[in-house]
Amino acid sequence: MKTAIKLALSAVALCALSAQSMAQELRMTVWTGNEAHLKMLNGIAAGFIAKHPGVTVKFETVPVADYTQKLTFQVAGGNAPDIAWMMEDAAPAFENAGLLMDIGPTLKATEGYNFEDFSEPAMALWQKDGKVYGMPFSTSPFLIYYNKDMFDKAGLEDPNQLAAKGEWNMQKFQEVAKKVTDANPGKWGFEFKDGEGYASRMTHALLPPVRAYGGDLWANGQCGLDKPEAVAAVKQLHDMVFKDKSIVPPGEQGDYFSGNSAMTVNQISRASKMPEAGFKWGIAPLPSGPAGEAPVIGQAALTVFASGKNTELAAQLVAEMTSRDNVAVMAQFFPPARKSVLESNAFVNSNKLIPPEQMKSVAAAIVNGRVHPSHEHVPQIFAAMAPRVDALWRADANVEDALKGVCAAIQPLL
Amino acid sequence: MAGKAFRDNAARAAGAPWLTLKTREMLEAWLFVSPTLIGFLIFFLGPLVAIFYYSTTEWNLLSQQATFVGLRNFHNVLLENPDFWHVVRNSVIFALGLVPLNMALALSLALALSRPFFGVVFFRTVFFAPVVTSAIAWAIVWKFMLQGEGGAVNQMLAWIGINGPNWLREPNWAMAAVIVTRVIKMVGLNMILYIAALQSIPRDYEEAATLEGASRWQVFRMITWPLLAPTTLVIMVLTTIGSFKVFDHIYQMTGGGPENGTLVLAFYIYQQGFKFFNVGYAAALALIMFVIVMALTLVQVMLRRRDME
Repeated sequence: MKTAIKLALSAVALCALSAQSMAQELRMTVWTGNEAHLKMLNGIAAGFIAKHPGVTVKFETVPVADYTQKLTFQVAGGNAPDIAWMMEDAAPAFENAGLLMDIGPTLKATEGYNFEDFSEPAMALWQKDGKVYGMPFSTSPFLIYYNKDMFDKAGLEDPNQLAAKGEWNMQKFQEVAKKVTDANPGKWGFEFKDGEGYASRMTHALLPPVRAYGGDLWANGQCGLDKPEAVAAVKQLHDMVFKDKSIVPPGEQGDYFSGNSAMTVNQISRASKMPEAGFKWGIAPLPSGPAGEAPVIGQAALTVFASGKNTELAAQLVAEMTSRDNVAVMAQFFPPARKSVLESNAFVNSNKLIPPEQMKSVAAAIVNGRVHPSHEHVPQIFAAMAPRVDALWRADANVEDALKGVCAAIQPLL
Repeated sequence: MAGKAFRDNAARAAGAPWLTLKTREMLEAWLFVSPTLIGFLIFFLGPLVAIFYYSTTEWNLLSQQATFVGLRNFHNVLLENPDFWHVVRNSVIFALGLVPLNMALALSLALALSRPFFGVVFFRTVFFAPVVTSAIAWAIVWKFMLQGEGGAVNQMLAWIGINGPNWLREPNWAMAAVIVTRVIKMVGLNMILYIAALQSIPRDYEEAATLEGASRWQVFRMITWPLLAPTTLVIMVLTTIGSFKVFDHIYQMTGGGPENGTLVLAFYIYQQGFKFFNVGYAAALALIMFVIVMALTLVQVMLRRRDME
């Protein structure tokens, strides 16, 4: 009996050992569960597997709302993925905790990789002291999505036409939002990003107008929201919510994708939701402001966890996924940071849902855009901000005082 | 009998003379409880003990660095963190609002539904159904109903000429709204407990009192209410503990807002531990919550005991 058990145990151990030496599995966490996205990623992985027999690549979807949280728990539980899709706001914390591997040497040693092809602004967040902690994978500008049917009903020129005439600015934005709201009773002129402008996307709601007015949320450790530019921008939004009633107000649901708002801000990966929306639509750049055009970019990068078993192989997969050819393939959903791809016709024609002339504004926004300000303590900053931002979004709020309150709350953390 | 003889024989046949009947029965008993026991040890007692240790460390989940800091976390929570007292205040307001409302409503419903009448089962089911509904689904539906302008609640109020507030965006109303929606969700459970208790009171008492000329209020005041006392205590303790532990409801409906108006203790612990990854600090907070709930329970039990004497 004992012998039999011993035999069985050694057989199991042997199998496990040989399985480990035979097949190397690379696991990558991604936020997307979209079928088209995953199909494309698996296609790219297949190319890598063909060159590396015995390797398997598994994409693990973690829902976007809890993405960083779940990733942290995987790390804490000693089960970090080999590669992670890292969101910009989480990057500094992971980087400073020493969890990410310097993949620079592998990338630069990869034949034909051409590391310099990645634009410098796009790399800003991912390089430190000559080390490379991530490769931008999606450098996706914020855009205005508009509901063409609702604009037609109001007899208005749409944002894209206004942009072509050079009239698409913050003043015009307020004006058309009001008119389109009046012409579509029960609906709204504008909805903040993902309908979360008063909660999880509060900074995404404020950032584009604040930048258009020449301000920022924070920069160089200084809160910028109490500066005159930011105050003017937020005052305008506040008027639109409470005086014009053209922006979906706090506590209401006015989903753009189900046709309840004429405009919203989002990125081109959301275009995949549009065919089922059931209305005519288009995309346009963000409205410009007193400070000119100020595109805002959301960014994500591929990072390799230093604790992984196959870090070198993982870095090679990152090199493969961000090669010129594959970046071009992914451009339809995840806009590239490679200059050569951005400047090519292939990019402008990459998206079946968005006409080339509109894709040109996407390309321009990537080149000129700046990412959302980042910080190691973003979760704490957001938590400190939230109650003050709640106070801002009341009909009787004094915008300037409320923004001073926001700054007072977050300055110690910056 | 035959079964016992068979088992005794089987035990001996297995060549285990030490296996007396008593030992065997004990072994069997342990074997039967072991699945629950192992689960209890691993998933309940283990973490409970671990949390005492965690609360004395400064442990950042991300960097995986844990340093022993003694009682500093407690010092920071109690003396240096103004948010903590605000959060405790919110938790107390939540409990003070929820417990009496829940119990009064549960008792009223139980009194109305404890005697059989046509359709009683239907009504009991209606009031109990929210208890078994998913808490998240419940909160999402209410979030829609409580919207400022398009919400069903305000539309109904408008019919009778009341201009309802933006319930979940104004701190005081938000607290009231989460309390009331929570009461409606959980009242069915206490109602069932009260119905069971009411049905176990012998009818003779009531009949005797009525014959003596007692009014319905007197019967309730002098007979029913005192006899319900043990049940009332249990309900009060459980509801109080439950109200301090409320999390899912707050998480989904308000996220602790607006202006931290509904930031209660359990949600604050979650924020510290799972958003900021300060595990040691969150553990200290959890222990403090444990002490608060324990103390409240003891006070209630002692008050009750004094009452009985």
